[in-house]
Amino acid sequence: MKQFLISLLTLLTFSACQHGLEYDATPTANFEALWQIIDRQYCFFDYKAQETGLDWNEVHDRYAARLTPHMTRAQLFEVLCDMLSELRDGHVNLYYSADVGRYWSWHEDYPRNFDENLQDKYLGTDYKIGAGLYYRILEDNIGYVAYNSFSSGIGEGNISDMLYYLRACDGLILDIRGNGGGLLTYAERLASHFTNERTLVGYMQHKTGAAHDAFSSPRAEYLNPAEGIRWQKRVVVLTNRECYSAANVFVRNMKCCPLVTTLGDQTGGGGGLPMSSELPIGWSVRFSASPTLDRNYQQIEFGIQPDVPCSLDPSDQAKGIDTLIEAARQFLHK
Amino acid sequence: MRSLILIILCLVGLVPMQAQEHERVLSHANMLGVGRSMQYDTYLSPLEYHGPCVSFLHESMRMTHHAASRLSFQQRWQSGFAYTENPAGNAEAYGGHIAWNGGWHYHWTPLPRLRLMAGGLLGARVGFLYNTRNGNNPAQARCAMDLSASVAALYDLRIRCRLFRIRYQADLPVMGGMFSPRFGESYYEIGEGKWADHVFLTHPGNALSLCQLLTVDCHFPRLTLRLGYQNDTRQSHVCHIRVRETSRNFLIGVVKHFSVITPSSPNASKTIL
Repeated sequence: MKQFLISLLTLLTFSACQHGLEYDATPTANFEALWQIIDRQYCFFDYKAQETGLDWNEVHDRYAARLTPHMTRAQLFEVLCDMLSELRDGHVNLYYSADVGRYWSWHEDYPRNFDENLQDKYLGTDYKIGAGLYYRILEDNIGYVAYNSFSSGIGEGNISDMLYYLRACDGLILDIRGNGGGLLTYAERLASHFTNERTLVGYMQHKTGAAHDAFSSPRAEYLNPAEGIRWQKRVVVLTNRECYSAANVFVRNMKCCPLVTTLGDQTGGGGGLPMSSELPIGWSVRFSASPTLDRNYQQIEFGIQPDVPCSLDPSDQAKGIDTLIEAARQFLHK
Repeated sequence: MRSLILIILCLVGLVPMQAQEHERVLSHANMLGVGRSMQYDTYLSPLEYHGPCVSFLHESMRMTHHAASRLSFQQRWQSGFAYTENPAGNAEAYGGHIAWNGGWHYHWTPLPRLRLMAGGLLGARVGFLYNTRNGNNPAQARCAMDLSASVAALYDLRIRCRLFRIRYQADLPVMGGMFSPRFGESYYEIGEGKWADHVFLTHPGNALSLCQLLTVDCHFPRLTLRLGYQNDTRQSHVCHIRVRETSRNFLIGVVKHFSVITPSSPNASKTIL
């Protein structure tokens, strides 16, 4: 009877073979967990091996040597962040209660080509606000739209109302400088008002396994024309190095639309769709998981070149003139 | 193929196997459960999340007149909700599901007080797991159908003139299909494509799961009280994504027996389940 009860209890507490990680605050456990998460799931190893000479195994050995058994959490965090910065990816972050590990050199190492005070001057005080869209008609009958974050929601109604208001303008300036991304849905929604045909804009892939080269075949992404008002005149999209992630994808899509010209500096990039995971110590990590390609199968991880390069001239800036906006106005009046 | 479909429909009780009038005894049980849950899903996190869970279980069973009144039909509805935390206690996940199982058991009575049952159940389950701090992979949708082998044993224990019925049941899914994203695939990309491309065949080799139920029915003059323990473990290893959900619940509820008497009942089965 006793044996029967033991057998029954064993059966009832059936515990199968799959187990996750338990809490562990030791430096080695967290270092190895982070290295493995990235090793299995990060999507740009082969591309960055070509572009920057990244060797993830060598990175492991170099940073493992910096670990000591009694290092503080802050010290461990610093080592892990330094290791992640080898990826040179703005979508890679490590979140700790006291800090956020980040790599922002994609815009910090370059001229900004954007001054919010100048933008405010061009917008004036009587501009319209349609959700995240700020817009007005400039004195020379050019429509000016500023969209600072794709995290600010926009609906079809907001975009159609804005385009209807600007319908008499000779051209449109779409200023997304400083737009660090947000939701791809809004990027697609806004771009869909600038094409009349279903347009191939790029491709998306995802990892199919832990190997660095295990990817699905590229799946075509199309931009479908919006059902609302569609813009039929010339458009200039202003870009700078701070255009990242969803803003980068927006630029990719807009470059495929007719009558659209991009002007300014190269975008910051961010061509990987990020995903999240976590370490045994409880810190959250974000990383690029699915690469996005342009319609020529080229990576957009390190940014997209503008059609018309243009920089903010400090002497113009001192006079209250935005060189890029003025260049766009001239371009649209040609 | 037609006969296979007919067998499956008969298994879940959608097609009456014999149109014969008889007396039937139905048992309906409603139970509430409280326990602990473990959630592990490598699509969201490599860590195990643990926390409390609640569940509701409705079960109906009836003997049929088929196979010399040795065949019973069982149907089970279950819903559950779990709140779990990661081992560090700084992230939460919410999980929920609704499940249905239905099927037939054949009965043997090797001893007067012992009844052994074996059969099959068809099951369907939908649910979710939502991790509050993840960005583009905040949640996992669950959707699965399977065919389970099911065994059970009932034993009538009499203590001081009071009848206690002890039942143990184990259901092991042997074949089915489940939805899963691929290894690094986002739901954004899934939404752009076809959901049907994400249904995968499951079997004990890639989805070893087991649901066990131990109940004790205490018969009182006007009430049958049911106490129980359920250990429901569902696992899968599909597209390099490992998933394991375990809930261990203590159950309490009441059982009601209904007797449906029809004019002619030559082989009536009055067995109470």
